[in-house]
Amino acid sequence: MDFSLNEEQRAWQLKARKFAQEEIRPISPQRDQIADPRETFDWEIVRKGSRLGFRTLAVPKEWGGHGADFVTQALVMAELARGDSAIAKTFSQCWKWSHLIADCCTPDQKSRFLKPFLEDETFLLGLAGTEPNAGSDNRFPPADDPKAGWRLRAERQGDEWILNGEKCYIANATVGKLFFVTARTNPNVSITDGTTLFLVPSDTPGLRVGKAHNKSGWRFYQNAGLIFEDARVPDANRVGEVNGGNKTRGSGRVSRFGDLEYAANAVGVCDDAVGAAMQYARNGRLAGKAAIEHQMMQLKLNEMHMLTEVLRSFVMRVAAESDGATAHDVVNNVLLMNFSSRAIQRVCDLNLEIRGGAGVSLMDAHAEKLMRDAFIWTHIADDSAQRLRAVRHLLKATELKESDRRKLAA
Amino acid sequence: MYDLHLTAEQLEFRETVRDFVEREVKPVALHPDRLEPFEKPLLLDLLDKASRMGLRTLALSEEAGGAGADGLTSCIVLEELGAGDVDIAVALAQTSLLGGILFGQRMAPEQRKRFLPQFTADDRYHLAFAGYDPDPDIGWSYHRPHAAESGVETTAVRQKSGEWVVNGVTRFTPNATIAKLFAAQVRTDAKKPGMSGVSTLLVPRDTPGLTVRDPAWAGSGANGKAFINWYHGAGGELVFKDCRVPGDHLLGKEGDPIRIGGIPQLAAINLGIGRAAYEAAVDYAKLRRQGGRNIIEHQAIGTILAEIAIKLEVARNMVWKAAWAADHPDAVADRSLSDLPLETIARVFTSEVVHEATEGAAECFGAMGVMRDMPLQKYVHDALVFLHSEESNSAAKLRVAEAVASYRRPVAV
Repeated sequence: MDFSLNEEQRAWQLKARKFAQEEIRPISPQRDQIADPRETFDWEIVRKGSRLGFRTLAVPKEWGGHGADFVTQALVMAELARGDSAIAKTFSQCWKWSHLIADCCTPDQKSRFLKPFLEDETFLLGLAGTEPNAGSDNRFPPADDPKAGWRLRAERQGDEWILNGEKCYIANATVGKLFFVTARTNPNVSITDGTTLFLVPSDTPGLRVGKAHNKSGWRFYQNAGLIFEDARVPDANRVGEVNGGNKTRGSGRVSRFGDLEYAANAVGVCDDAVGAAMQYARNGRLAGKAAIEHQMMQLKLNEMHMLTEVLRSFVMRVAAESDGATAHDVVNNVLLMNFSSRAIQRVCDLNLEIRGGAGVSLMDAHAEKLMRDAFIWTHIADDSAQRLRAVRHLLKATELKESDRRKLAA
Repeated sequence: MYDLHLTAEQLEFRETVRDFVEREVKPVALHPDRLEPFEKPLLLDLLDKASRMGLRTLALSEEAGGAGADGLTSCIVLEELGAGDVDIAVALAQTSLLGGILFGQRMAPEQRKRFLPQFTADDRYHLAFAGYDPDPDIGWSYHRPHAAESGVETTAVRQKSGEWVVNGVTRFTPNATIAKLFAAQVRTDAKKPGMSGVSTLLVPRDTPGLTVRDPAWAGSGANGKAFINWYHGAGGELVFKDCRVPGDHLLGKEGDPIRIGGIPQLAAINLGIGRAAYEAAVDYAKLRRQGGRNIIEHQAIGTILAEIAIKLEVARNMVWKAAWAADHPDAVADRSLSDLPLETIARVFTSEVVHEATEGAAECFGAMGVMRDMPLQKYVHDALVFLHSEESNSAAKLRVAEAVASYRRPVAV
């Protein structure tokens, strides 16, 4: 077992650390405090990060990207998130969907979309899945209700598809140039069998941005509704088979990325919280001595460090496993994401406790921000549906192993 | 004897206030236009309305014109108000509690004659306690004598004319921005140690030399560090600069300052926040369909709601018990109740479980649980503040530990 990083991985890590310290962190508090959710975004940081390769990190080298492996992606994410979790997520959202383009799109689609993505410093990606009445049902299609899940319709008309419906909470919706869209092409079967995936540029006629969602945390990161009214999408933008959209989306590197992404981002937030708490405990004074001399402070710091290091180890293990993956077993990815939420909540809670050691009427703004950012994880990484999803994968994986065993025995 | 029946009066209070909260407070307090901005100004119209309902003078005796509510009744009412708007609840709690103490117990007849008519006649007449903190690190000085005096203190020097001249800054004063009368703890004797050199003065808001600083929601502190206001209600800072207070505004005797507390009012308000989050989650879980059924029918969501219900029921028991204990000081002496600091126990437990309860309730709402135009993020945030109110929970636990060990703190010298 070898935990050392190679030179390339180490170089990306240091480059990300420098960018986070020098460019992301200085703008983070102000961006977080802007009241209008559409105004929190900053193109300058996107351009600067793009020039350093952070937007196109995951595009394969043969297509002109940096071809970073999962270990590198995890390292870079943690470093960027240490500067600002939401800004890190804005970059990594592009890695997620560039994996999907690279693994599942045709050469024609790659040249039409990957090329402009690589050339344009402000080209951001997103995926439109969630709908007002379809959240958990998409991640976790229920046996009780086979037709549950997104309802956005795509109907074939000649060489085009006509899309009608509404998506919500869509990442990068206000700023993205290209979206993957999950659409129902057969409403009479489950979303697993009736979904087709499309590439939809943001300037598609009939597509407009809806309500910008005003989140309590991750304020820089843009989420909004997308409204499709007879939006016309050429069949050439269909990804994978008709009615095979869910299979496409669940294959290749993207199927391992999303869960790892949240967990690696959480490492950065935890590192940030631990650093701030240590500094405060060393400098602050309580009852006539340094705060850190109190056992209660030390015990809180112990727990913060412990959770952060356990999370980091689990992230690096899953990243390395995902790089060398041969099986389609993603159980650890999902469990990792679940755990990351509990770790980040607890670490940020403890950071608040340390900052508020003597009771406070003025809370440190940074500790408060981390708490709000961390709270994003609860509904996305570790809600009941995500925990149950881990078990569903676990059952499938153990079933496969069992059938292998029987085959061997026979 | 063990009896948890509420009186007809208590039940009526609860129903009336619950109805007021549902009909009038929630539609305003939880309107998306109010929830979205970072700053949430005090809802003064509703505060006045609550005042007219008698909630400002809840603990004031009936003969003085109040409702004469005891600690338990106050807590029952405050839970309801907390479920509607935490800031209104905290403001009313402070005025009501102080009204009972000042007019009912501590003012001399002359003082009462001067201030009581103004207080009862004016719906906007609020009271504030500008506390003097002899040891801001109380709790943290666990099993050790008090740390040295903090050095930040407000002093009052008696003039030949009998007047007091007050100087200093009282950093955090609940109700400061709305109060018309302050009960200010001031050091009147620099030589006497601890609280024996401290007295309470009655300082009307319009006294020359007194300025109330209305804090910004966020800003930069003295050390250049950015901060966020982290309290409920209408807090502020009092600045006394050669503030001349008439000699007969001394409350009681020198060296015998008032103490407030004992009644778990804040815990009751906090409990109200937990209940509001819980009720919102139950309502939503009955409506929201995912997984082929209303989500309340899924074991996962049902269990979250059950855990919240369990926590809130237990917390309410403790809040009521501590409130009843404050109403019946003899119950410790006759060994009916433990002599541990029950109010602290109620407050710490309630703040921990309500924090968990609001997060569980938010989970039921999925992404809507983190949206600023929805109430859940507000409940989560409001509950977090309670974890750090008064002394923090960490320090409170150390204080409970000292009680467990029967530790008696030597008086500071």
